[in-house]
Amino acid sequence: MMRSLFSSLLLVSLLFMNSFSEVQGRKWKGEGTTKNLESIVIGRCYDYIRIVNPAVGEKNCSEIWEAFKNAFINKDPCTILPKDYELFINLSWHTIPSNKSLFWENNHQLVNSFASRGRRYMSLADTLSGFLGDFLNWCGEANSTGLDYESCPTMEECENNAVDSFWRMASITYAQHSSGVIHVLLNGSAVGGAYPVPGFFADYEIPNLQRDKISQIIIWVVDDIEGPDIDSCGIHTVKILENRLKTLGYDVTCTDNDKSVMFLLCLDYPDHSKCTLSSSAPAAQRGPLSSDRGGSWNKLMFVSFAGFLFRSALVY
Amino acid sequence: MPFQQGSARTRQRTVLLVGIVVLLAALVLAVVLASLLTHGKQEVSPKMLKWKDRGTTKNLQEVILGRCYNYVMARYPELGDKDCLKIWESLKHAFIYKNPCNITSEDYEPLMELASHPISCNKSLFWSKTSDLVHRYTKSNQNFLTLEDTLLGYMADRVSWCGDPSAPGINYESCPKRSECESNPSSVFWKTASKMFAEAACGVVQVMLNGSIEAGAFRNSSIFGSIEILNLNPDKVSAVHIWLMHDIGGPHSESCSGHSIQRLKTILEERNFKITCEDNYRPVQLLQCVHNPDHRDCRLCTST
Repeated sequence: MMRSLFSSLLLVSLLFMNSFSEVQGRKWKGEGTTKNLESIVIGRCYDYIRIVNPAVGEKNCSEIWEAFKNAFINKDPCTILPKDYELFINLSWHTIPSNKSLFWENNHQLVNSFASRGRRYMSLADTLSGFLGDFLNWCGEANSTGLDYESCPTMEECENNAVDSFWRMASITYAQHSSGVIHVLLNGSAVGGAYPVPGFFADYEIPNLQRDKISQIIIWVVDDIEGPDIDSCGIHTVKILENRLKTLGYDVTCTDNDKSVMFLLCLDYPDHSKCTLSSSAPAAQRGPLSSDRGGSWNKLMFVSFAGFLFRSALVY
Repeated sequence: MPFQQGSARTRQRTVLLVGIVVLLAALVLAVVLASLLTHGKQEVSPKMLKWKDRGTTKNLQEVILGRCYNYVMARYPELGDKDCLKIWESLKHAFIYKNPCNITSEDYEPLMELASHPISCNKSLFWSKTSDLVHRYTKSNQNFLTLEDTLLGYMADRVSWCGDPSAPGINYESCPKRSECESNPSSVFWKTASKMFAEAACGVVQVMLNGSIEAGAFRNSSIFGSIEILNLNPDKVSAVHIWLMHDIGGPHSESCSGHSIQRLKTILEERNFKITCEDNYRPVQLLQCVHNPDHRDCRLCTST
């Protein structure tokens, strides 16, 4: 009886140790390096110089990949510093057209859509270096020339990880080369405030703006369509930001819910009251359609027109 | 004295050595120059055919491979089984060393098979003369997919390629325009891919047309009119929803009741599709307003 109890205890502890060692196999808490990272980065590099923005001229994409890789390969993944990417940045640098810089916090996807891949604005992700790293993940390991595809350290595990140091270096350089009128897009619904401290904009971009090259800083604070209005121009963290920039000697203006940006946010909420256009009829029903819809088109037009008249009457 | 005799011999030897070095240097220089000249010649082979459109995109292989991996890994990881190298090879073999005026759909069959992936119902978004707007829309709203948002279209978008019978088999200088020959690699590719995209559509499909162009919103000669609508499968597709967009501040050349739209409706109804049409589909109009926020057509009800 004692022996069977002992065997079952042994079995249980063995199982426990086995599962524990499985957890131990994954070194870090973050997801591993993006698969096929080299092909993606080199492909993006040529995509950028040949198609996205050929104005930057010829770049040696293999050299750029090597410089990028050497910043973090064969090192403890918690010891990567921004300056390790210096060669990479020097090789991939190009001028940023004046008045096109767009800084941001807490609205990554929105900025990507709004910048229109460099046509309206050139956010960091629209420059070559940002374009190469956007949405990718990577890290190496000590005493190995390979990439770690299993796991990578998160910010919480160590600050000096390959990805965060990359973005610090890229942000510093982006700020240093920005000129003319610069825009900052902040999320007025973000928990903790629109202007986060610590944050990339606060710690790496503002300190590296070149005052003599910048004519004006325009801040846009935009709330999520269905989000709370936590922050706005002139209050809380935005006030802190405005004061900081003014103290540094910049000409600062701030706008709440800029219309252009609002329209972009409205894409997902076309029927929301914040998104209703005064010129259009109520939106026709979207999604699967019933078979007599085509025939009742005229009826819908009449109802919409009547509704429009009624609404106009109310307004005036 | 022995030292002085030795120095004369040394001087002779030095002259000889210097002479040999100079000769070697001249030889190396000649070889380098020769290789540079012939290399340059090879890139612009006099035997290669000359065309009117831009040539194959430089570093095509790297771009295509990178886009393939990017699409699979970063955008749609559920397609993880796609072999991007094989896909590149099948694209290359479709046109390399071939006369670029003799390309057929069959040339692209292996590529189409390798790169195709299922598309969810109600997501297919066709378009004609609205390229910029429709792609800005699908970038912001991933509920809809144009051909250029599928793996095949994503890899090929804004890239060009064509072959040539002489080495190296790819023409980086020029490629034929449609006016020079119809069966060129690009036209055949997009026709074949469009057909496949239409065949794969199911449920409700959408099409974004341009109501501000004089020639009419719907043209039978467009890829949409000549290939896509003809390859929609009535057993899979239940309805076609037309979004007729006008430029903000642009002319209203045609609306849902216009001639070409009626023609389109007739063609589709004959194949038993239900059709609806909406002038200035609201979400897309909101997108247009991003660039025209102060136009009177973009006034928001809530603005003061």
